[in-house]
Amino acid sequence: MRVTTHRFKAVVKKEIADLSSRTFLSFLPPLFAALRQAAMASFPDPAGAHAYAADIRAEVVAHLPELLEEFERNATGHGAKVIWARDAQEANEFILNLAKEKNITLVTKGKSMVSEEIGINEVLLGNGIETYETDLGEFITQQLDRPPFHIVGPAVNISLQEICDLFMEKAGMTEPTMDPVKLGYAARLFLRDKFHRVEMGITGVNMAVAETGSLINVENEGNIRLSKSSPRIQVALMSIEKVVPTMKDALHLVRVLCRHCTGQAISAYVSIDTGPKRPGEIDGPEELYIVIVDNGRSTFYRDLRAREVLRCIRCGACMNNCPVYTTIGGYPYGWAYSGPMGQALNPLLLGLEQTQDLYRACTLCGSCKTVCPAGVDHPGLFLYYRTKDVEGDRAFGGMTRHWKETTAFRLFTYGTTHPWFWNLASKIIRPFYNNGARDGMVSELPGPFEAWFRSRNLPAMPKRTFHEEWKRIGKIPAEGPTHGSAPE
Amino acid sequence: MPHDARDEILSRLKRTPRKDVPARRELPPLNELSLDREGMIKKFSDQLWLQTGVVHRVADAKAALEKLSEVAREEKLEKVMVATDSVIAPLDLPAWGAAEGITIFRVRDFMNRNAFKHAVFNEVQAGITGADFAVAETGTLGLIHDKDQARLISLAPILHIVIVPADRFVAVYEQAIEEVFADTDRLPSQFCFITGPSMTADIQATPFKGMHGPRRLIVIIIG
Repeated sequence: MRVTTHRFKAVVKKEIADLSSRTFLSFLPPLFAALRQAAMASFPDPAGAHAYAADIRAEVVAHLPELLEEFERNATGHGAKVIWARDAQEANEFILNLAKEKNITLVTKGKSMVSEEIGINEVLLGNGIETYETDLGEFITQQLDRPPFHIVGPAVNISLQEICDLFMEKAGMTEPTMDPVKLGYAARLFLRDKFHRVEMGITGVNMAVAETGSLINVENEGNIRLSKSSPRIQVALMSIEKVVPTMKDALHLVRVLCRHCTGQAISAYVSIDTGPKRPGEIDGPEELYIVIVDNGRSTFYRDLRAREVLRCIRCGACMNNCPVYTTIGGYPYGWAYSGPMGQALNPLLLGLEQTQDLYRACTLCGSCKTVCPAGVDHPGLFLYYRTKDVEGDRAFGGMTRHWKETTAFRLFTYGTTHPWFWNLASKIIRPFYNNGARDGMVSELPGPFEAWFRSRNLPAMPKRTFHEEWKRIGKIPAEGPTHGSAPE
Repeated sequence: MPHDARDEILSRLKRTPRKDVPARRELPPLNELSLDREGMIKKFSDQLWLQTGVVHRVADAKAALEKLSEVAREEKLEKVMVATDSVIAPLDLPAWGAAEGITIFRVRDFMNRNAFKHAVFNEVQAGITGADFAVAETGTLGLIHDKDQARLISLAPILHIVIVPADRFVAVYEQAIEEVFADTDRLPSQFCFITGPSMTADIQATPFKGMHGPRRLIVIIIG
């Protein structure tokens, strides 16, 4: 997937004018948010269940290396092959070589965010291996070559006409239709043949259970189960933070994940795999490869604040409650991860320089943090990234600011800490500043501050400073009511 | 490549300062744990109904076969793939099929994976399986996949018929999982929770059943 995070503002302008995007943003996120609240109410103590999930994720982040080792030991013990990949290239190379070695010509994929992060589809397709996303929404976005609009409904904003045209052209549909259900069944028919013939299934992982070495997938469509049942070879892709300590923890997280994701108490299918198929079983993978992808995570793990982003379980609740996401949709974020989740994760994976607008496009309202079942403090992270960027922290890829801005703030800092400078400077600035004042308010200022005033006003500076006014008042004899009497 | 990548990643993770996490807050027990058998069956049925699952309840195995005949006639079933798990095997479905004029396929009828896949994807109109658990909490079925419970029978055909004895009901997922994962040397290659038919709402947020898996799910409870 092409990363277009640097085009954030340009895509925002386009999306704000897009009627179809606006329609979906006006009802879908609030609907998901309402469903989430209703679903959480089925817990005897919804707030307790929410907090417990965050506690589990905090433990995962704290004990990450030990949990990964335990998971690897148990998964290997049950016959899975565990492969570690430092970055996207290593993961892709391993999968490509495996596919070549096994003469694979057809791959079906279950939805996996990390697979979009590493861009495995492009690598396989580029090497002549037919590769299909099989989640209906992902199938549509793959064929249209677009980033996901929403983590749960990646193609939910695409018009029926566009899907119809697409399926006529690329999914073997013979008669045009504007019925979403018929369109869905056309995709079923097309992909069913792929599931039947598939030789290698690539799936993501919702949770990797350390105590048993099991992989858990949560889904509604059945495409992940098919990709794990039909082919002889299965590749499960997971980023390092997918591990959880125990099966009991995993079940609690499944409950919370489904409720936060789609407002369901549980998804249609929750499948738990431990090793490849056993002798005598007619379906299921003969070989199960688990690729653990790092891709920069172990590097920022040493930063105790930044690492907390690894708590995220990709439920998408943050975006449904974000005033920015619900205005601009998923495209501007320009990558696999959108909304506050993407604003928190992408800067660490791609560097602060390329993702400037992501951690600044935030009002710091804190809705994401409140709703997050994993306990991620998104606004806190955005402030942290802004600081790191301004400081030009190399480890984070910070780029510092323009010298004029840096100088302006140095002067401002000097002024606020040195009264003589402040008083002198305000006297010098006052006539220029007040020049454009209308009714006591300044709403435009030429020069470097022009952009700042485009959406903001400031009061005009008074004739005298506070100190001057204080001195003047002291010389005027006291009038009016004395102390202690009732105000008029 | 693989091995040094592993060591490099793990050593980077371990080189970091340790950070203690506070003890977990208490999690109150789930309401469902107070349900008795009838309460569990009711909750299960209500929850599955919300997902368009159809639940029938019969007295015994004989009545289950009669109900199955009824369903088969309604659905005009001609070819069916059946599991050979501990619920289905004693029902002797091949004999039932012969009486009803329905061709019954079992995994053992196929030479290999491809022949089985061809039948389960393209030939049969339904899959019949037992369930190892029925979970009251959300109207969820639990299936242990092994040589008698092939994965695709409950997944590839457009109709999934499940038979579950009343003594296999549990209140919450944990009770099923504890049993399945009790013996760590004999874990199933796959365990699956199924709650209703396959579904999606990915086009214009219009929900419908039967995306890639079954469009309909029928459950027959015995006892």
